[in-house]
Amino acid sequence: MASIPNLNTLGGGRRGHRLRGGRGTTPTHEDATADSVERGRDQVVQQTDHDASSSRMSAVALGYLDDPYARTFFGHDTEIPKRYPIINRGTYVRTKAIDRLVKQFLDVRPTQKKQIVSLGAGSDTRFFRLVDESSASNLHLVYHELDFEANVNRKRTTLRQSAELSRLLKSGGDRGLTYHLHALDLRDLAVKSPPEIPSLDPQLPTLLISECCLCYLPHETAAAVLDYFSMHIPGSMALVLYEPIRPFDAFGKTMVTNLASRGIHLQTLKRYSTLEAQQGRLRLAGLSDGQAARDVLQLYDDDDWMAPEERERIEKLEWLDEVEEWQLLASHYCVAWGWRGEAFGEAWASRGGSSSIRNIQMI
Amino acid sequence: MSDLDKAIAQLRACRPIPEIQVRELCYKARELLIEEGNVVTVDAPVTICGDIHGQFHDLMELFRVGGDVPDTNYLFMGDFVDRGFYSLESFLLLLCLKVRYPDRITLIRGNHESRQITTVYGFYDECLRKYGSANVWRYCCEVFDYLALGALVIGAATELEPTDAPFADPSHATTVSEGDEVEVELLNSAGHIVTRHVRDRYIGQSSQLSNPPSSPSQTREQTPSRNGAPGTGATGSSHGSSGNGGGAVLCVHGGLSPLIDSIDKIRLLDRKQEVPHEGAMCDLLWSDPDEIEGWGLSPRGAGFLFGADIVKCFNHKNDLSLICRAHQLVMEGFKEMFQNTIVTVWSAPNYCYRCGNIAAILELGEDGSNAGYAPRSNGDVERSHGASNGVLTERMDKLKGPGRRYRVFEAAPQDSRGMPAKKPVADYFL
Ligand SMILES: C[S@@+](CC[C@H](N)C(=O)[O-])C[C@H]1O[C@@H](n2cnc3c(N)ncnc32)[C@H](O)[C@@H]1O
Repeated sequence: MASIPNLNTLGGGRRGHRLRGGRGTTPTHEDATADSVERGRDQVVQQTDHDASSSRMSAVALGYLDDPYARTFFGHDTEIPKRYPIINRGTYVRTKAIDRLVKQFLDVRPTQKKQIVSLGAGSDTRFFRLVDESSASNLHLVYHELDFEANVNRKRTTLRQSAELSRLLKSGGDRGLTYHLHALDLRDLAVKSPPEIPSLDPQLPTLLISECCLCYLPHETAAAVLDYFSMHIPGSMALVLYEPIRPFDAFGKTMVTNLASRGIHLQTLKRYSTLEAQQGRLRLAGLSDGQAARDVLQLYDDDDWMAPEERERIEKLEWLDEVEEWQLLASHYCVAWGWRGEAFGEAWASRGGSSSIRNIQMI
Repeated sequence: MSDLDKAIAQLRACRPIPEIQVRELCYKARELLIEEGNVVTVDAPVTICGDIHGQFHDLMELFRVGGDVPDTNYLFMGDFVDRGFYSLESFLLLLCLKVRYPDRITLIRGNHESRQITTVYGFYDECLRKYGSANVWRYCCEVFDYLALGALVIGAATELEPTDAPFADPSHATTVSEGDEVEVELLNSAGHIVTRHVRDRYIGQSSQLSNPPSSPSQTREQTPSRNGAPGTGATGSSHGSSGNGGGAVLCVHGGLSPLIDSIDKIRLLDRKQEVPHEGAMCDLLWSDPDEIEGWGLSPRGAGFLFGADIVKCFNHKNDLSLICRAHQLVMEGFKEMFQNTIVTVWSAPNYCYRCGNIAAILELGEDGSNAGYAPRSNGDVERSHGASNGVLTERMDKLKGPGRRYRVFEAAPQDSRGMPAKKPVADYFL
């Protein structure tokens, strides 16, 4: 059954490198100010979940995505936001592309127990949808979600208050799907002696998901977080990530300044600015058996990723006039994935749409 | 000061005018527009502008760069509203100017001047927010139904009077010698010349000329550069014999329609209605030129894609030297295609406050030397047989294009635009 460990005691709240001024000395006034500035910044990052959740809600409400839990986490009483068609389309592509990679992983060697770790999961609904979709079968899966304490608390409250979700957790638990929600600042994994993540099973083939999360960390920290998992999990491991790219052209530059004016700093963007750089990063993270990356525009235009009927269906949902803008926006986000170990090799290199995936590896 | 002038002053300050005034303004505008044909005839000189999309402060920048009404004649090719925060002020100001100076400003319809589109893309919500009811939106939509579908610019000079301004980069300076015709100038927002192209004089020797430097298409990694001549495909590929005058310039928001092979057919449409989902009127407002042969399906779900062959035939048949349209975001502000037979002009810099593009307007000068619109004289030249291969295309009779002066400009400075205190919605994926 879903054990929801209280990780507040765990490494929690204070990160090593934030302990300025040395041990035992009382913090100076400047330290306090710097600390509150940093808290403010973290808050902005935490609130990005609301954007993601609103966009998901909008896409669900208009029929792009079928996701009964988006509303539950978004809040039943909150007015459903209206997003522009290009945002809805992008939300759709991102969700479906990650879903598909996840499904391929789960479908391969169906009797083998597996593990998924969602970094900065926020209000993500993927676990609950998986429980739903697998309702007939047994799935042996340990699912972890990590996020800041504030966001995790919000999710816990929702879980507690929703009879539907409680039932789902129970029914999943009965069929071998366990769920763990951890309050953890990912940056704490980047310090010298990082905390253990309870119930993380180092023996299982493990898929990490970073859906717009690692990009908010300094690049060294983001790399250290991946190293943490890479070291803890000796066997099969993979990462699927979704984040912005191409910060150097006119659109990208404007994106960087616009987000900065909201206090949002995409700290890894310049370093992993292209599909190639993203693949290189995955290789360096020890995911050496294969790497691939595609921008959202490519994913959308590729029949292998978007069945033509599906494309036709979603193009009928809304009149998307902003074709050029869609191309700009969609070419500034990518899904990248890399792996080591046979389970992933089988899942991603030889299954559905394999030829295209193999081709990408060669880019 | 008349009420109209007061309204203009108020709108110039980006303050909406009272509902009752909007009603009156829209009524007057309709009376005026109803007299216009589907295709309005406009005499050069005129400055042609593309999409505005409610970017009021950038519209002010456009007037600063291009000159004020009524000193400069303007032709706006639609898409005044939606997306930006100030669709209302932008459209009403243009409408006031139209009513105040009817001969100085021409407004034609874009695909966003429609009830259906404005409910999705912001204008409807903006009216509701600013007036508390949908009345103003309704008045404006009634005006939309009366806007012309196109304009025909006549009397444009085939050569530019060279601008008496310094070059932005002196190493690009070209001197104009006796007998040279200046075909294209590109000026920055400070009025300095970025590039200048002289029309090729060696007619008949085109095979020795290299192809036009193709306009930089909007490639993904590209940063708009203000060096060189972004968007300019100007060269000596004009094969009209020197006896030819310039052809007319057709302005439409989107492009051509498979149902329309002559301008007269446009004139026959019944335009006073909401933009239909299909048909000729819809196509004129929704279609895009593309590097294809013939016609293709549009990714927009309305209108069509059309290739160079279609443009060449249409221009030839209608004695046009150029089609000027808007509708598509181009990062460099303008883009000439198909050997300068069609150009896209885009006038909303940093579109949606997000795209990072520059904007442009196109000035066509007045032909002082003759009556201007000279019908094609050598109609016996090989006509298109679905001409798409280079040789045939080259041989097609093509009228000398008008001299074109593009002025590019960037978004008005952030502090002048008075962003609404409430932050705009998330325009990115987070
Ligand atoms: C843009 S949201 C995406 C949420 C979710 N993955 C989705 O796609 O819907 C980014 C999430 O990453 C989380 N995050 C960012 N930095 C983090 C950190 N250092 N530790 C834990 N969570 C973090 C934020 O709190 C936020 O919930």
